[in-house]
Amino acid sequence: MATARRTDEADLERPGAPYDEMITAAGGVRPHYAALAQRVQTLSEADLAERQKTLERFFLLQGITFTVYGGESSTERIIPTDLLPRIIPAAEWAKIEAGLTQRLRALNMFLADIYGEQQILMDGVVPRELVLCAPSYRREMQNLYVPHQAYANVCGSDLIRQPDGAFAVLEDNLRVPSGVSYMLANREASKRTFPGTFRAAGVRSVDRYPDLLLATLKSMAADWRPNPQVVVLTPGVYNSAYYEHAYLARLMGAPLVEGRDLVVHDNMVYMRTTTGLRRIDVIYRRVDDDFIDPLTFRRDSGLGVAGLFNAYRAGNVVICNAPGTGVADDKAVYAYVPEIIRYYLGEDAILPNIETFLCREPAQMNHVLANLDKLVVKAVGASGGYGMLIGPHASKKERADFAEAIKADPENYIAQPTIQLSTAPCLIDGAIDPRHVDLRPFILSGEKIVVTPGALTRVALKKGSLVVNSSQGGGSKDTWVLTADALGKEAQP
Amino acid sequence: MMLARVADSLYWIGRYVERAEHMARLSDVMLNATLDRTDAASEVARIAMSAVGEQDIDKTLTPYEAALALALDREDGGSITTSLARARENARQVRDQITTETWERLNLIYLRVTDPAASKAFADGSSAFLHDIIADLHLFKGAADATMSHGEGWRFLLLGIYLERAQLIGRLLEVCFADRQRRAMTDHFALTSLLRMSCALEPYLRRYTADIQPRLILEFLMFDEDFPRSMRFTTARIEEHLVGAARYVEHAGAASAERLAGRLKARLQYADVENLELNGAGALLTTVLDECAAIHATIYETFVAYPLEMRLPA
Repeated sequence: MATARRTDEADLERPGAPYDEMITAAGGVRPHYAALAQRVQTLSEADLAERQKTLERFFLLQGITFTVYGGESSTERIIPTDLLPRIIPAAEWAKIEAGLTQRLRALNMFLADIYGEQQILMDGVVPRELVLCAPSYRREMQNLYVPHQAYANVCGSDLIRQPDGAFAVLEDNLRVPSGVSYMLANREASKRTFPGTFRAAGVRSVDRYPDLLLATLKSMAADWRPNPQVVVLTPGVYNSAYYEHAYLARLMGAPLVEGRDLVVHDNMVYMRTTTGLRRIDVIYRRVDDDFIDPLTFRRDSGLGVAGLFNAYRAGNVVICNAPGTGVADDKAVYAYVPEIIRYYLGEDAILPNIETFLCREPAQMNHVLANLDKLVVKAVGASGGYGMLIGPHASKKERADFAEAIKADPENYIAQPTIQLSTAPCLIDGAIDPRHVDLRPFILSGEKIVVTPGALTRVALKKGSLVVNSSQGGGSKDTWVLTADALGKEAQP
Repeated sequence: MMLARVADSLYWIGRYVERAEHMARLSDVMLNATLDRTDAASEVARIAMSAVGEQDIDKTLTPYEAALALALDREDGGSITTSLARARENARQVRDQITTETWERLNLIYLRVTDPAASKAFADGSSAFLHDIIADLHLFKGAADATMSHGEGWRFLLLGIYLERAQLIGRLLEVCFADRQRRAMTDHFALTSLLRMSCALEPYLRRYTADIQPRLILEFLMFDEDFPRSMRFTTARIEEHLVGAARYVEHAGAASAERLAGRLKARLQYADVENLELNGAGALLTTVLDECAAIHATIYETFVAYPLEMRLPA
C-alpha cells in the first residue's frame, strides 16, 4: 500500500486514534515535517501571533472575504486561515495523483456511457433505476456529443486520511467544485510567512492552475473555432464564492459574465460588450445545472440565460462542466465507483472508497439494521445533514424509528462506518494544537487529465470536531506537496 | 471590447471616488473655516452645504455635525462613506478588470471608513481623517494610472472621474457666482476657501500671485487650460476619452456622443474670456452642466444600455 509512509508500530496498536500528519503515534516528528517543526520552535508565541495577523491582513486586503449579514449592517469576514502548512511527501502524492487520474477517467467514461449507449446499465454493473431515477440525471444530455468525453472538466475530490495512514475518497465533486482560489491564496500567504522553510523544502508549484484551466477549457471548443472565446459565468457578487469566480477570470484573462450579460440568438451565445455583441465559445459556468437555462431547467432562475442549453445542444457553445455530471457523484453511485473503475479500465481502484452499505441490497440492509449503533446512515437524496442518523450518538428510539424508515424505503438509504479524519498541527489561540483536516485536490480534464500538485486542506477549527465546511466554522491551510528529492535537505531558518 | 456591464461599473467607480474626494475636501475646508465665528465663516459653510445639495442643513445642525453626517452617515446616499462603499461594490463586480494594486487601495479606504472605530477617529481629528481619505484617493488614482492598461476600461474610469468633476466644480461655481439675488463674494477669506474647495489655491497663486479676485478665480476655474479641475481641462478630457472609447463602436450612435463632447470642449476652449462678466457666468454654467448631463445619457445609449435589435449579427 502506501509506499512512502513509514509504518509506525504504535499506529497499529491504537486503531481508533486519528493519524496525525506531523507526529507519529510514538511521539516523534515525521521526517517531512522536521524542518517546519524546527522553524516553528524558534518562534515565540508573539512571533506566531504577529505572523497570523499579517496573514489575515493579506486576505482582508485582497478582499478574500465572505459577507456576514446581521442586524443593521453587514460585515465582511475572512475565512479562517491557519498559519502552518500541511505537508505531503512526494511518494504519497504520486499515489494520490495516480488514484485521482484513474478515478476521473473512469467517471468520465461512466458519464459518456450513461448519456450514450448505457452499456454499464445493460450489463447490470450499476442498477438502472439508481442512475435513471437520480434527480441529478439529466435526460436532456442523452446522446449529446461532449469533446474528449470530458464531462467533468473541473473536479474537486474530498479525500480523508484514515487511522492507518491510507488516503480514501470521501466524496467526488463533479458539479461546480469550489475552493481552488483558497489553494492559490493560501500559497501566496505561506510563501510570505515561511519563505526560508518554503524555499528549502522543495514545494511543487501550484501557480499554473489558471493557465492549465484555460487550456482545458479551450480544448473543449470546436476545432473550427481557432481562437475560442472563453468566459466565466458567475451567479453574481452576492454568491459566497464570488471572489473565486473573479479571481479565476482575472488570472485566465477571461471575461467574468453574469446571466444578464449574455444573449442567445439563432442558437449562438453572445455577450453584450461596449462595441456590440460578441460570440462566446466556451462557458466555464459556476452556476448549478438547475439555474443555467430557465427554458430547459428551472423556470424561476434569474441567474441563467434563456436558450443556452439549446445553443449547447446545437454545438455552438460548450458548457463546462457539462450539465448532468452530478449523477456520477451521487451518494449511492459513489458506492459503485470501484466497480465502475474495474468495468471501464480493468483495474483495481488505487484510492479506496469509504466502506458503504447500500440498503437496497437485502444482505447489506440486514447488516446495517444489525449494526445501527455503529454506523452513520444517510438518505441518498438529501444533503447538508438532513435525513441522517449518527448511530453511536442516537437514542434507542431514534434508531428504532430509523430502522422502520429504512425497511419502508431501503433504496433511499446508505450507511457508512463513522469516519475518522487525520489531524494536523494548527495555531489555535497562540498555541499549536492538532485539529482534524481533510484534503481537496483539484483535477482538470479536457484533452488530457491533469492533477494540480497541491490542494485545499480544510480544517475543523473546533477541537474534536470533524466538520470542515467553511459555513460551519471550518478554515483552511496551505498544502505543500514536496518534490521527489526534497526530503533530507537542511532547512534555512 | 469589454462587457457593457463592466464599462458601466468602471464608469461609476470613477464617479463615486471623485464624489467622495470632493465631499471630503468641502467638509475639511468648511470645518477649518468655521473654527472662526465670523460672517465669512458662515458664508463658507453656506457655500459648502449648498454645493453638496443640502440647502436646509444650517438650520438644524452645526457645521461639525453636518460634516460628520456627510462623512460617515451610511443612510445618507450622498455621504462620503456611501460613495466609497458604492465605488468599492462596483469594483468588486469588476474585480477581474482592475489590477490588484488598484483594488487594494480602494478596499483599504473602504475598510477604514466602515470600521466601527471610524466615528471615534473622526471625533479625534476630523481634519486628519478627511485629509487621509483625500490622500488615499490620490493613491488609488495613482495606482490605477500606474498599473492599469490605459485601454478602454481605463477610459471609462476616467470618463466617470472627469464627468463627475465637471459637474461638481460646475455646481460649486454656480453656488458662488450664478445667483443674482446675492451680492458678489468679496471677502478674502471666503474667496481663498473657495479656492481650497477646488484644490486650486496653490496653482492659482502661481498663476495670478496673491492677488485674489472673484473674476480671476472664475476665469481660472472655468478656462485655465492646464489646471486639472478647471472646466476647460475636464471637458477636454471628457472629449478625449469619449472619442477614444467610441473608436471601436461601429454603430452610428457613437457619432452623437463624440459630437456632444466636442461641442462642450470647444465651448470652453474658445470662450470669450476677456469679456467675461462675473454675473454673466450663470448662463454658460447652466449650458455646460446641461451638456454634461446629456453626455452621461449618451454614454449609456452608446455603450451600455443600447437596444439589442440594432446590434444583432446579420
